[in-house]
Amino acid sequence: MSGSIVLIARLLATIALYGFLAWAFIFLYREIQRQGAALSNRRVPGISVMVKQPGGRGALKYFNQAEIAIGRDPGCDISLTDDTVSARHAHLTFHHNQWWLEDLASTNGTRLNGLPVETPTVITSGDEIQCGGAGLNVSLSENVIIEPTQRLEKQRPSKPQ
Amino acid sequence: MTHRSQNRLLGWAAVFLFLQSVVLTLSPAARERSWNVDYRASHWIGFAVWGGCAYLVHRALEKNLPEHDPYIFPAAALLSGWGLLTVWRLDEGFGLRQTLWLGISSAILIAALRLEKNLAFLKSFKYIFLVGGLLITGLTLIFGTNPLGAGPRLWLGVGGIYFQPSEPLKILLVIYLSAYLADRANIRLTSLPMLAPTVVVTGLALLLLFIQRDLGAASIFIFIYTIFLFIAAGKRRILLTTGALLLAVLLIGYFLVDVIHARVIGWLNPWDDPTGNSYQIIQSLLAVANGGALGRGLGIGSPLLVPVSISDFIYAAIAEEAGLAGTLGLICLIWLILARGLIVAQRAPDNFRRFLAAGVVAYLGVQSLLIIGGNLRLLPLTGVTLPFVSYGGSSLLTSFIALYLLLAISNVEDAEPASLKDQRPYSILAGIFALGLFACAVAGAWWAIYRGDSLLARTDNARRAIADRYVLRGELVDINNSPINVTTGKSGAYLRQYLYPGLAPVTGYTHPVFGQAGIEASVDDYLRGLKGNPTSLILWNQLLYGTPPPGLDVRLSLDLSLQKTADELLAHHTGAIILMNAETGEILVMASHPTYDPNKLDDEGDSLSRDENSPLLNRATQGLYPAGDVFLPFILAQFDGELPGDSNLLAYYKESGLLRAPAIALPVAERDFPNELEDLRAIPLQVVLAAAAVSNEGVIPAPRIATAVNTLEQGWIVLPALDNAREAIPARAAKEAALSFIHAGDAFWSHAARGVIGKTTVNWLVAGTPPDWQGAPLALVVALEDDSPAAATRIGATLMNAVLNR
Repeated sequence: MSGSIVLIARLLATIALYGFLAWAFIFLYREIQRQGAALSNRRVPGISVMVKQPGGRGALKYFNQAEIAIGRDPGCDISLTDDTVSARHAHLTFHHNQWWLEDLASTNGTRLNGLPVETPTVITSGDEIQCGGAGLNVSLSENVIIEPTQRLEKQRPSKPQ
Repeated sequence: MTHRSQNRLLGWAAVFLFLQSVVLTLSPAARERSWNVDYRASHWIGFAVWGGCAYLVHRALEKNLPEHDPYIFPAAALLSGWGLLTVWRLDEGFGLRQTLWLGISSAILIAALRLEKNLAFLKSFKYIFLVGGLLITGLTLIFGTNPLGAGPRLWLGVGGIYFQPSEPLKILLVIYLSAYLADRANIRLTSLPMLAPTVVVTGLALLLLFIQRDLGAASIFIFIYTIFLFIAAGKRRILLTTGALLLAVLLIGYFLVDVIHARVIGWLNPWDDPTGNSYQIIQSLLAVANGGALGRGLGIGSPLLVPVSISDFIYAAIAEEAGLAGTLGLICLIWLILARGLIVAQRAPDNFRRFLAAGVVAYLGVQSLLIIGGNLRLLPLTGVTLPFVSYGGSSLLTSFIALYLLLAISNVEDAEPASLKDQRPYSILAGIFALGLFACAVAGAWWAIYRGDSLLARTDNARRAIADRYVLRGELVDINNSPINVTTGKSGAYLRQYLYPGLAPVTGYTHPVFGQAGIEASVDDYLRGLKGNPTSLILWNQLLYGTPPPGLDVRLSLDLSLQKTADELLAHHTGAIILMNAETGEILVMASHPTYDPNKLDDEGDSLSRDENSPLLNRATQGLYPAGDVFLPFILAQFDGELPGDSNLLAYYKESGLLRAPAIALPVAERDFPNELEDLRAIPLQVVLAAAAVSNEGVIPAPRIATAVNTLEQGWIVLPALDNAREAIPARAAKEAALSFIHAGDAFWSHAARGVIGKTTVNWLVAGTPPDWQGAPLALVVALEDDSPAAATRIGATLMNAVLNR
């Protein structure tokens, strides 16, 4: 008799242990879902780039992705045919709510408004980027509103209202 | 969300620990199978303190670190609560101490959470911390003690409180390495000048630990350093190189350092030395095996049989009482902490905090894997603690500091983590830990389920003897159901009593130290309830109490009143008597002298086995006596009254199977067949079987001594004979032989013989009932080692007359 009652308590204890683990996994699953939703909800403001190559006509390109590769490689988002441009020359990335220009150790260097780019640098609308011999004119979409991080946090769809 | 998940998880942890406490309280009732016992209550102090600490830390976390990781603290809290209850179950004094340490560690954690959230001060004072840690650890070289009195002196003691500085030194090393490498994240890490300071510092710490012989801590340092280099540089060859180096060190240590040599030998071949070097590991495996799938229940197993089960072997203690189900849960909890820790590391806002989190995870993961793997014989034993779970103030405090670091780092205000060049090292690290923990789970299942039964059947498994104290063992009774060996006392203190000590060489004994002998050993399965009971009952008892069901009584064919007569006749002579029912083979009397008193085994056990008169020997089945012409009546019947030549006779003995060992529920001596007739030896049992054939119309019966078992469902059921009856001589020839051996004035046939080989002389008397005997035919043998033919004849005749005139 005593053994049966203790057995029930033992089994309940084991169930509680796995209850803990089950809830931990449920929470983890929800967190992954939430994170996916947050990431897919995160909008990258569009960016327009006017590409001017020596001897060629200017071409306007529009992007709404978070990373834009610039280089001579045809796989790059902005593919330049100029010989002074390295295969992977530089890239534009969007994080911390800003567009950043970073030189990828190119042979002839990258210049922003005439100044060499050595560390990732924030760019704004109207900036002029020089990759080797090629020039790029950047204009950011009008509807970009730079908000403090704090408000974005609160906008995360964490709790379905 | 964070708070809600943490709340819910802590709730589950509290329910689990509450139920475990209930089980521990009721455990004496389950052990003794009665409600009238002393219940355990003191561990509720531990549960209450745990609840208070968990609540206060939870509140402090909500208030000070609103964005912290919600999984790490509940998992760590469950582990430390589980460890606390296990320690309390193993030793109440240590339980109280551990409760105090839990309170102190929680208070320090709460204070740290209030005071400092971004850990910048750790970076600024890295050298001060490290040098301080090294100095304090160095102090143990001079002032070191060991709380247990013997063993490595790794502790500093003040007023009864002991502290092991090498525990926090691990965290200090982690802090130093994170700070140093974070500052130099952009420089090539494979250049030696870069790494020189870290090599010097780690080497110094290692040297210190090697001098102290704290090999467990030393190996953890090596692993932590390796993982740091790997994470900072991202080169897989660092792992491979260190692996090769460690193997080399292990090999060198194996040949040069005795501690390592002993550990490695004990790891590779534990079964060769189960009482010496491998004692700990085998006891640990026995505990795991005894746990099985569901475990015995907290307080119902015997984890105290494992040395240092309180700290180094706490995993084995948990495995025994929570079973495979519990240890798989434990492994999942450790994995949860490690995996969340690595996520925290990846999300950290700067390199210092990222390395710090990864280093803390490395410390927790490596130490857990080393000790769990050591407990399960996956790895050589290293004397380290299981973080959060093991007993030990320094260990618990260090685990809580690690917890604090992880929680503080997880609380990122800035949603963007620092840029991560290469994510691969973290995935590889997570993979290594996952693989290691998975291997531990598989090894646990292997020992608990697959090898469980064979491990538990080992003679060095003291749990069998413990079960005997709690479960009633079946009685041995004689042919008229008079008790011979019985079990008395109450559950928890059952004692075997031998009511007829003179039978000791035959019925044997069962003893926690000296094991079992005689019939007690051969029908042990019935007496212990493992045979004769329904399988469901056996499984149910195993599940409820971890013991076999109450044992079953076994009836012997011995007749105590005749036995008494025989023993009185044999008295101080050295020798044996067997009286057998020649038709059924049932042994009515089996005496072997000198005898001993198994009730006094506690005091005399050791001297008995050294006694030159060998009282432990059952001479009736183990006395290989010179045969002489003791088989004469049988042989004459076989060969029509004419004795064949020596070589023919020898060949006949060999082919007839007369001298093969009879199968009976007793140990029987056996020996290679001799080349000369003079060297022929026989045991009294073989002689009496041949005599039985003469009195039983030429049929040799199957000898029997354990005849029936009293089952629960069907009452007494007959135990089949182990041997077969067989026709050996023609019935008519047997009758003639018996008639020709009846001496004038006797009511029975008899033949006295004398066997001599070297200095051994034996006087035999075989006798049996005549062909016209109306009752059950009987056969008798008397063998006396002392040289007095008259005594053998007198004893045989007196006994035969007593039996026939009954």
